Amino acid sequence: MQKLFTSVAALVMLVSAPVAAQTAYRAPRLAGTTQPNLNGLWQSITEANWDLLPHEAKAGPPEFGALYAQPAGTGIVEGDEIPYQPWALAKKKENFANRFVRQNTDGVRLEPLDPEAKCYLPGVPRANYMPFPFQIVQGNKKIVIAYEFASASRIIPLEKVGDAPTDSYMGWSQGHFEGDTLVVDVTGFNEKTWFDRAGDFHSESLHVVERFTPTSANSMQYQATIEDPKVFTKPWKIEFPLYRRTEKNAQFLEFKCVPFADELVYGHLRKK
Amino acid sequence: MSDQEVFVRTFRILVLPALVVASSALVFGQGAVPTPAAKAVIESKAPAKQWRTPWGDPDLQGEWTNATTTALERPAKYNGREFLTKEEKVAKDEVTAVERDTRAQPGTAADVAGAYNSAWFEYGWSDGRTSLIYDPQDGKKPPLTADGLRRSKLRNESIRTDGPYLGPEDLDLYTHCIVRAGLPRLPTAYDNNFAIVQSPGSVAIVQEQIHETRIIPLAGSNNAKPHLNPSVRQWLGDSRGHFEGETLVVETTNFNEHTSFEGATKNMHLIERWTRRTDNTIDYRFTVDDPETWTRPWSAAIVWYKGGSLFEYACHEDNVGAYGILAGARADEKKMAEKRMGEKKAAGK
Repeated sequence: MQKLFTSVAALVMLVSAPVAAQTAYRAPRLAGTTQPNLNGLWQSITEANWDLLPHEAKAGPPEFGALYAQPAGTGIVEGDEIPYQPWALAKKKENFANRFVRQNTDGVRLEPLDPEAKCYLPGVPRANYMPFPFQIVQGNKKIVIAYEFASASRIIPLEKVGDAPTDSYMGWSQGHFEGDTLVVDVTGFNEKTWFDRAGDFHSESLHVVERFTPTSANSMQYQATIEDPKVFTKPWKIEFPLYRRTEKNAQFLEFKCVPFADELVYGHLRKK
Repeated sequence: MSDQEVFVRTFRILVLPALVVASSALVFGQGAVPTPAAKAVIESKAPAKQWRTPWGDPDLQGEWTNATTTALERPAKYNGREFLTKEEKVAKDEVTAVERDTRAQPGTAADVAGAYNSAWFEYGWSDGRTSLIYDPQDGKKPPLTADGLRRSKLRNESIRTDGPYLGPEDLDLYTHCIVRAGLPRLPTAYDNNFAIVQSPGSVAIVQEQIHETRIIPLAGSNNAKPHLNPSVRQWLGDSRGHFEGETLVVETTNFNEHTSFEGATKNMHLIERWTRRTDNTIDYRFTVDDPETWTRPWSAAIVWYKGGSLFEYACHEDNVGAYGILAGARADEKKMAEKRMGEKKAAGK
């Protein structure tokens, strides 16, 4: 039995070798502290914002030609499957079908469901794989992550704070370092954000544990464990690299998209 | 000594004398006998403590609030003086504590329509001064330029208090949930919270309203870079910072034409200064310079007090206020149209 455990442990070590290799990189320290320095302007390069799962390229609205077509992607979900409960898988499909404005049989307008289209705060982990840069400002006691999309902001305390006072879009973050990895435990979510444009969703019981591990001067590996007993049958994982924006003039800019969503959100209330 | 007293005292020490010295130099020349205020300059000392980040920058980190009932401009009744008497300050704070916390007759419209009490509002207190503006010395914004005056009249004419709200563009920026207000941020009735987090080369200022973060690259660091191209305008402009002694100095340009601080153009040049005074206070000052709008630059000081932790202020999401305003305007139009139809019918009979 002892032997079996040893071989299982060896196997686990083998399987996790890529991660071990990543952690072999030692990031420079945040001056005057023992923390790895994660400061900078970062961005992912994935197609997960369209769909977390493997997907083919798809046409966009025909009037725009190839402009808003969707790029193909290999997916960022471990095992290529999100373990939905049966009712939840049906709801995901409904979400997608009802993402834009529709009318019911009486001609009454139904609210579009896609929160990104409406410029709603994107939630976590999604904010990290949207096609926009985000800035990490790492202080010695707190870390701010500022996202360009919808000006979403997170404050991540490194000292223990209490539970979330109430639910929110971006959740309630608590950070700590495990070696060179920044681990952020996020709770206190509302049920209103989606994981992607494919309608992947969660409930207010969502719990996300994020891991930011520096892998080189200009890259980090991002992993997140996603747990929501109301929607999924078991926890599941996503993983992808983050890259530093290294252009000389790279800068955090505004993407205040509320006015861009005016027609979708308020168009029906405009004076005709 | 309270933080407020420290601020007022520091304000007296640092600002008043500068003005007094400047004016006395003009009036009396170099050899003038120092006035009592000017004497305070000689006695003034830097704060006994220095606040430093682990990497050696002045440390402004924490959660702060700029709430105060002190007005931007000096009310006429205080003409000629910068400070309230002790009695006046007590009386003013009493008004904030008591009169603003009354409840209208239960069951009336006034009891529900915007009927927020002190549990909701965070007015703060008087900081002991008669205005936030300290330059010009009269505590008022300087005269408008001819063009500034013209634009101000246009603005007054176009201000709508009750419609017509033709579409979302007619909502003000705050109701529309784009920004709470342009920079610099003046105190409002509630939710005046900011969080400052610093790293080597950057300062982040998270504004609770409406959840955006100012990322300020610091000169002399790897992040240093020239301002954005003038073709790129932003709601909160484009900020660059540096430290002058204990003070974080941030200069902001590239505003867009929508935020218009107090009627300024998008070419406004903003300089802000944050100086830690005590564990619980920051002395915040700003100077706005917009020669297209005002005949000279002007400056104000606001104390930032230690506050509580920030919470997400999601504004645009399910913005029922905006839906209600627009839907209400359309319902009113429909009612009016029906009334006119009815009148036409009656007249035709």
